[in-house]
Amino acid sequence: MLADVKETWRYRELIVALAMREVRVRYKHALLGIGWAVIMPLVLMLVFTEIFSRVASISTGGIPYPLFAYTGLLAWQLHANIIQGASRCLSDNSNLVTKVYFPRQVLPASVVLSALVDFAVAALLLAGLMAVHRVTPGWQVAFVPLVLALQLSLASGLALFVSAANLFYRDVQFILQVGVQLWMFASSVLYPLPSQGVFAWVNLLNPMTPILDAWRYTLLGAPAPRPESLAAAAGLSLLTLVLGWAWFRRAEARFGELA
Amino acid sequence: MPVAVELKGVSKRFSRGPRTRTLVDAVLGWPRRLMRRRSEDGLLEHEFWALRDLSFQLEKGAMLGVIGPNGSGKSTLLKLLFRILRPETGQVTTVGRVGGLIELGAGFHPYLSGRENVFINGAILGLRQREIRQRYDSIVDFSGLREFMDMPVKNYSSGMYARLAFAVAAHAEVDVLLVDEVLAVGDASFQMKCYDWMARRRKQGVTIVCVSHNMYVINSASRCLFLADGEKQLEDDPPRAIERYLETVQARGEASLHMFTEAVGGQPRAEILRVELLDGQGNELKTLEHDSTLLIRFHYLIREELECPILALTLQPDDARFPVQVPSHYFFHVASGTLLKHRGQPGEGVVEVEVPQVRLPVGTHRVNLYCFNGSMTHPIWVKEGATRIEVLRPIWSDRLSLMDHRQQWRVLAPEQQR
Repeated sequence: MLADVKETWRYRELIVALAMREVRVRYKHALLGIGWAVIMPLVLMLVFTEIFSRVASISTGGIPYPLFAYTGLLAWQLHANIIQGASRCLSDNSNLVTKVYFPRQVLPASVVLSALVDFAVAALLLAGLMAVHRVTPGWQVAFVPLVLALQLSLASGLALFVSAANLFYRDVQFILQVGVQLWMFASSVLYPLPSQGVFAWVNLLNPMTPILDAWRYTLLGAPAPRPESLAAAAGLSLLTLVLGWAWFRRAEARFGELA
Repeated sequence: MPVAVELKGVSKRFSRGPRTRTLVDAVLGWPRRLMRRRSEDGLLEHEFWALRDLSFQLEKGAMLGVIGPNGSGKSTLLKLLFRILRPETGQVTTVGRVGGLIELGAGFHPYLSGRENVFINGAILGLRQREIRQRYDSIVDFSGLREFMDMPVKNYSSGMYARLAFAVAAHAEVDVLLVDEVLAVGDASFQMKCYDWMARRRKQGVTIVCVSHNMYVINSASRCLFLADGEKQLEDDPPRAIERYLETVQARGEASLHMFTEAVGGQPRAEILRVELLDGQGNELKTLEHDSTLLIRFHYLIREELECPILALTLQPDDARFPVQVPSHYFFHVASGTLLKHRGQPGEGVVEVEVPQVRLPVGTHRVNLYCFNGSMTHPIWVKEGATRIEVLRPIWSDRLSLMDHRQQWRVLAPEQQR
């Protein structure tokens, strides 16, 4: 695995170039350009703010709901973009995969990077929203890189898995469209999930809820996620990364035929 | 000399069936897949060996030409060397950086400008951004597309696309170079530029594996590998391998050396009696200077009335190993078109065609003559190798294009339309 990391690092410029190509192409002919990275989470946030202020009231532990929701959507959007982008990255680039050699993990890696670009742009709006609501992050903000790393290891492991899986069965990308949506509603993106009863188990199995809670803890000063859920999330995320990597390595030999 | 490329007992298996299944197929097909057994030669149903037990060695700086009929495993071989495919058995070893002209412009994005694509394509070919910046001017000059670098490549012509892609590929640093039939896309001058570049790379010690149907290129290799049905038929000096290949191919009837091999039986309805090759002043030529004017005078005879007689002439480089399977329109050619549309009555006649600035490869050329009626699909009379003409002085200039010869036709006799 260390050799793989080294080889990937050698191709870092290609990862950057492909990610920039992706970002450029995505926004080249869009009137609002990269502003679209903000619009998606913003609109969802506004819609759900409206719903929860009129229809049902939920307790977000003293955090203004728009901030609660936008933070969750911001992190979720990064997660969803990586998984869905990765599922198509090998099949969409079949002209590369079948004609040119480079380490194949470069393609999912560039998906992660381009999703991070969108994430960074959308995060600017979060900073604005926090200023409006006069929320200043405390000392916990120092843990943001750790939370990001945790989420990325989970997403990257899944990205490696689904990118290869989609070459074997093209259904994967469609299943994911539904699956990612369902997963969002099962995580604490738009509402907090209780940490008792059946949800204690769900949260242990779903690393995204502790990760989302950790985002809100580090950025907004919300209550910290339970240590055992966070530890389980970290373990699961790293396991996903290792397994995803191993599966990708195994499947790689056949990419040239399948793509 | 150190070995740069080595294959040891390499086999590659492919399936003829659909390449990807849906999950439903996978689930339903599970019991059947548990039941199936590989046949004696290691194949499942629908599978075949694209390459079988192939071994060879190539020293650093050598050039291997690979020939064989379609489907013989040539491209599979290149993809194995390029690590795009992995062999089922055996071992592929390459030393140093492997680069390929397998498909030009892989990774070009239509919406991005030429400039942006240069940087991305360069990165795909293993160049650092810094290296691309250093070579950017050289790449642009090589492509000759300086004014078009800010245009999205979707607006490029296919020729421009190929030129830019090749310019980038030519600036990548490689130790082992793999060349597929990519070069067949461009016009003749572009192809020559590519081959020229390959020759220079070889002098610099780059090891080359080249798949081509162009026997001229194959003949310049140091070794030649002849593949058929995924198996090595012969590995030998190029002339001997080419000879064997041509025999096989002709025996199979898959390709022919000539435009029309079958003799046209019976008394032909028309024929060219004589052809004069003259210079601009009307003097007879035995040799032709590059870039000079060529005047060709046809004396013909029509026996039975024709709808629209067409006279045609091609000049084919007189080298049995030249472009087998290369379309004859790569040769110099002239045809009278509709010039004689209302002159199809029996009798004799004379027409001439003036071709200014003839640009041909140096060497001896065979003169091939054809008569057609109406369309140029089936000749009613053929004479190949009717005479020969020598082209002097080189040869491939940048402006060279065999396709673009201007031709002016004139009817000399009979003077009146009958």
